[in-house]
Amino acid sequence: MNNETLVCVPGQRLSIADKSHLSGRGTYERLGYIYATLAGVVKVVKQDKASLIEVRSSNEQSIVPAPGDIVTAKITLVKQRFCKCIIKCIGDTVLSRPYRGMLRKEDVRATEKDKVEMIKCFRPGDIILARVLPMTEVHSYQLSTAEDELGVVLADSEEGMSMVPVSWTEMQCPKTHIKELRKVAKVLPERLSTV
Amino acid sequence: MAGVLLSEAEKTFILHGVQSDLRNDGRSRQDYRPIELELDIVTHANGSARVRLANTDVLVGVKTEIDVPKPEKPEEGKVEFFVDCSANATPVFEGKGGEELATEISNFLASSFASSMSFDLKTLCIIKGVQCWKLYVDILILECGGNLFDAVSLAVKAALHNTMVPRVETVAMDGGNVDLQLSGDPYDCWRLDTKNMPCLVTLSKIGEHFIVDSTAEEEECSMASLVFSVTDGGRLNSLCKTSVGSLHPHTLAEALKVGVDVGVRLNKALDQALAREDRRLEADKPERFGFLK
Amino acid sequence: MPSDNRRIQGPEVSSPYCLFQSGNKNVDVHSGRSEVLSSRKDSRKFMEHRKIYLKTGVVSQAKGSAYVEFDNTKVICSVFDPREIPNRIEYSQHGELFCVFKFAPFSCLTRRAHQQDAQEKELSLCLKRALEPAVCRHEFPNFQVDIYVMVLENDGGSLAAAITCAGLALADAHVPMYDLVTAASLGVTGDKLLMDPVEEEESLCQNPNKENQNHGLITVALMGAHTQVTQMWQTGSMTAACVSDALTHLVQICEETYPIAQRCLVKSVVDTISKKAQ
Repeated sequence: MNNETLVCVPGQRLSIADKSHLSGRGTYERLGYIYATLAGVVKVVKQDKASLIEVRSSNEQSIVPAPGDIVTAKITLVKQRFCKCIIKCIGDTVLSRPYRGMLRKEDVRATEKDKVEMIKCFRPGDIILARVLPMTEVHSYQLSTAEDELGVVLADSEEGMSMVPVSWTEMQCPKTHIKELRKVAKVLPERLSTV
Repeated sequence: MAGVLLSEAEKTFILHGVQSDLRNDGRSRQDYRPIELELDIVTHANGSARVRLANTDVLVGVKTEIDVPKPEKPEEGKVEFFVDCSANATPVFEGKGGEELATEISNFLASSFASSMSFDLKTLCIIKGVQCWKLYVDILILECGGNLFDAVSLAVKAALHNTMVPRVETVAMDGGNVDLQLSGDPYDCWRLDTKNMPCLVTLSKIGEHFIVDSTAEEEECSMASLVFSVTDGGRLNSLCKTSVGSLHPHTLAEALKVGVDVGVRLNKALDQALAREDRRLEADKPERFGFLK
Repeated sequence: MPSDNRRIQGPEVSSPYCLFQSGNKNVDVHSGRSEVLSSRKDSRKFMEHRKIYLKTGVVSQAKGSAYVEFDNTKVICSVFDPREIPNRIEYSQHGELFCVFKFAPFSCLTRRAHQQDAQEKELSLCLKRALEPAVCRHEFPNFQVDIYVMVLENDGGSLAAAITCAGLALADAHVPMYDLVTAASLGVTGDKLLMDPVEEEESLCQNPNKENQNHGLITVALMGAHTQVTQMWQTGSMTAACVSDALTHLVQICEETYPIAQRCLVKSVVDTISKKAQ
C-alpha cells in the first residue's frame, strides 16, 4: 500500500473479502467483496495476519450512542428512582444534536445498590461520565455509572462555584467549604484532558 | 403488518414452502384466499360494496354530489378517494398511526384511475364548464389482515359498478344560474362503465419467487413487494414498490409478467362475481345477509 | 409546514391565467403533438437525457446537502443529523428516514400552497421508498434522519431529480449507505418513448389521444454498483411489454448518471481533505 490517499464513495468496491482482508468500519461485505458505506478515505490497518479495511469519512460522521460507549451527559432532572440527562458527547466526539438519556437508581453504583439515594448522588446541572447500557424497549438511552471511573466530574455548588472532589461521595465548594454529596467519578489522568 | 413476531426457523419454513409452491395454508404461489363480495348494502350511499378477503374486511361507499368542474378541465367530472384506517381495524392505526397507509392507498387508487381509458371523467359532465358530478369514494377498513391494497381495489371497483348516478332530466339556464331538475323516479339512474377499471395486485418477493395475497406472516418474510394496477385487458395503469428492499431489473421484468397475468384473472373473477351479485339483487326479493355476516 | 394565516394567501378561487391566453395550452399541446412525435422541442434525441449539474455542500447549516439541475428542473435537498423519533414508544431496530418533498410556491405553472398537498405527500413516500434500501438503517436504531427536498423549479422529472439529489445529500451527510442512488424518468405516448420529459411532454403523456394507446410516465431509481432497482413508479396506462422496455432504457440511463454522481462526491471529499491540509 503506498501513501497516496484513496478516496472512495458509498457503493464502491474496495477489495475482495477473504481471510486476509477484513471489512472494518465504514465498509460492508456483499457476495465476497468489501464495499464502502461512506464517502471518505480508505485506510488499511495491518493486523497480525490480515489487513482491516476501513473508510474514514472526511468530515464528522453521523454517530449515535451505541451500547458500551462512554458518554458525557448533563443531568436535567433528579427523581427518587431515576434521573434524566442529556447526552452531549460520545467519547471525544461532540454531538451536534443532543440525545436523551436515563440513569436508573440501580445503575448508579456497583455495590449497595439498594441504599442509593438519587438526591445524594446527582443534582441537576452536573456533568457526568456514564456508560451506555444495552438498548431495551425503552425509548431513551439507559446509562450506568456503576464503575469507579464513572459518575460526576463537574458540579457547581449552591454558591455557583465549581466544586472539588474530596472523596468518593463528597465534593467541596472552594468558597464556602460546604461539602455536598455526589457519586464522584475517579477521573483518570488521560481522561482528564478530554473532559 | 405489525405485531407479528417470527423466529428465524419459522421464516425459513415459510421460505421453503414458497419454494416448493405449497404455502402454509395449502395455497400455491398465485392463489388468493377466499374472497366474499356483497353489493348494495348501505342504503344511504349511491353505491356500496363490502369485500372480505380472509381476515381483511373493507367497506366502500360511493356518494355523488354536484360540483363545479375544474377550470382547466371543463368537460370532466371529479372523483376522490378517501381511505379511513380506523383504530377499529388494528390498534396500530390509533391516532395518526394509520394516516400514512391511508394516504398511500388513496393516492395509489387515484393514480390508478387517473387514465381516461379506465375511467372517463367526461361521462360525469352535466354542463361543460358549469356543472359536473363529483364522486366521493369512501373506503373504510373494518378489519386488517394483510393485503389491503388488493381488497380495497376489489371493493372500490365493485362499489363503482354498483353506483347509481341520478339522471338529470331538464336543465334550464336562467342567466348565469343553472337549474337542474333531477328525475322524479329514484330508480331512474345510469351506471358507470367499470369494464376498464383496474384491480390492484400486490406481489411479495419471498426467496426467489413472487407470491400473491400474502398473509401477515408472509409479509414479515418478504424482502420487497410491488403493487400493480391491472385492467381487464392486461394493461398496467400504475406500478409502485411499496416496501423496503430493492430488486434487480430482471426480477422486476419477471414480476411484471406475473402481476399482469394474475391481474387479468382477478378482474375476470371479479366480473363474474359482480354479475352473480347483480342477478341476486335483481331477484324480486333478494336474499339479504346480515350486514356483517 | 404549519399553516400560517399571517402569510398572504392567494384568493380562494382562482384560475391560472394561461387558460385565458389566446393560444390555450391544451390546444397548443394537441396541435404540437405531431411535432413532438417527430422531434423534440429542445432538439434532443428521444433517448437523450438533459444535461445534469450536481453539487454537494450547498447548505452550510445542514449536515449534508446537494443541488441538482436537469436544465430547468432545479432541486435542493438538505439532510440533518439523526434524531430521536418523536412520539414513539416501542424500540425500532432500524432507523427511519423522514422525507419531505415540497414544491416551492413559485415552482410550477400554478401557485403551490405552503402546506403539503396530496401529490407532494405521495412523492415524499416515493422518495422515502427509493432511499430506504440504500441506507444502512441498522446503524442508527431508534433514530430518524430528516431529508428535506425542495423543488425550486419544476420542468418535468422532479421526482427523479429529487431522488438523485437526496441520495447525494445523504452521502454528503456521511450517513452510512450501501450505494448511491440515481434516478431517471421516461414518458410514453403511443409508440414513442421520451427520455427525461420536460413538463410539456409530461402533460402530453398523461392523456391518450387515441383509444387504447400507451401513455404514461415511469420513474426508476437505481443503485448503480449492485444494479438494484430501489423504486419504480408508473402512472398512465400501458402494456407490460412497454413497461419492461422502458425499464431497460431507464436502467441504462441511471447507470450513465451514476458516475456523474460519484465524481461529484469524490470532488467534495478531495476538497474537504485539501481544506483540512491547509
